[in-house]
Amino acid sequence: MAEKLKVAICWLGACGGCDASIVDLNEVILQVADAVDIVLWPLAMDFKYRSIQQMPDAEIALSILSGSIRNSDHQEMAELLRKKSQVVMAMGACACFGGTPGLANFHSKDDIFNWVYRDAPTVVNPDGNFPQPETVRNGGKLTLPHFFEHVFTLDQAIDVDYYLPGCPPPPELIVNAINAVLAGDLPPKGSTLAPRKALCDTCPRNQRKPNRMEIRSFNRIHEVEADPDACFLAAGIICMGPATRNGCGETCIRINVPCRGCFGPLPGVVGSEPKFLSTLASLLVVERDDEIKEAIDSFDDPVGYLYRFTQPSSILGRRSAKKVTEEGS
Amino acid sequence: METYNPKIVCFSCNFGWGYLSDAETIGPTILNWIPVVCSGKIDTSHILKAFRAGADGVMILGCSEGHCHFQDGNYQTRKKVFLIHKVLDAFGIEPERLTMELDIDPEGRKIPQLIAQMQHHLSGLGPVKQV
Repeated sequence: MAEKLKVAICWLGACGGCDASIVDLNEVILQVADAVDIVLWPLAMDFKYRSIQQMPDAEIALSILSGSIRNSDHQEMAELLRKKSQVVMAMGACACFGGTPGLANFHSKDDIFNWVYRDAPTVVNPDGNFPQPETVRNGGKLTLPHFFEHVFTLDQAIDVDYYLPGCPPPPELIVNAINAVLAGDLPPKGSTLAPRKALCDTCPRNQRKPNRMEIRSFNRIHEVEADPDACFLAAGIICMGPATRNGCGETCIRINVPCRGCFGPLPGVVGSEPKFLSTLASLLVVERDDEIKEAIDSFDDPVGYLYRFTQPSSILGRRSAKKVTEEGS
Repeated sequence: METYNPKIVCFSCNFGWGYLSDAETIGPTILNWIPVVCSGKIDTSHILKAFRAGADGVMILGCSEGHCHFQDGNYQTRKKVFLIHKVLDAFGIEPERLTMELDIDPEGRKIPQLIAQMQHHLSGLGPVKQV
């Protein structure tokens, strides 16, 4: 019998939701486990990193990496798996675009540490201890990974072959992606293994969109009683659908929650946020400057909403991991 | 110390600004001048890309109110400017680094003056801070 293909699944700066989505394959996961040899999966199985380090290069057929690059441990693990793998797939919004952890890039490392270890009202830290990369205790040296100044996407740290966006990616797309790799039936390198249309194309609410959309002020979802079948934007509720790739199965839309943009920009678009801003501007029908200002001020936390999943890969936010970490060290 | 000379990218509407002047005579006096068919054509990503590429300020010149050749392109971009100010602020770029002027100047003589004014104002702010 031919040797099974080796697959590694690993989380970096991630919440584990992507791994949980793999577990959500249910019975299909047994077929996957039969077809391949899983050599690493910290969420579900016990393997040692050392055994990966001892493998010859390019021994692993596919590495599925979720999560952003937040600290030196994530970077090391990403680099190790890149070296040992033939194909690396970035899975989930964090690995593809930086994800929610990427919003931390609007603050400095010092701001974050001061808040988390000193200023937050629930913190009790009378000695003012902050985590250090190295601490000497009783003659022994303890180490922690270095916390970077910036959150990076996976492809800012290593070379990535395929992208599978979503927060988390739906199980159907995961199984399609794994099968495509196993069958060797893959699109060109750098492709995103998801549909190529905007969410609005498949949104069930789109059918009841008014002919001319007119927004006078922005509403949050709890502030208005929106028609459960009509377009969110028509009710002034921010929905990222027009600037977001589809493939998610409209899971949020179906439970009356507007799109937050976890599938990232459409093919060929760098930065969905400015594209969405242009859309939004054209839907606003207020005229005088003071009215425009008032309407825009009713958009609560626009930057947090627009960049919720994409700050590290956005036009103004992207950085090269190599450059930043070398400058920092 | 080197004198700081703010780099301004100027997008201007072809229907309102400088269309009577020969681009070869007025063009060289204005660095980074990008005439476009209508100020409404300027996408928000063009503005962000200008800042990404190192611009210290972006100036948009559109037609005065009611004079847009395409009905309301200038008005559409004015709304975008208000929205982008919020984004720039979050990235640590002062909102005043993006301005929009609505007027008609067929010979474009005002363009170098407006740029000089903006440069003067921005030199007080200094270079764009990295986030």
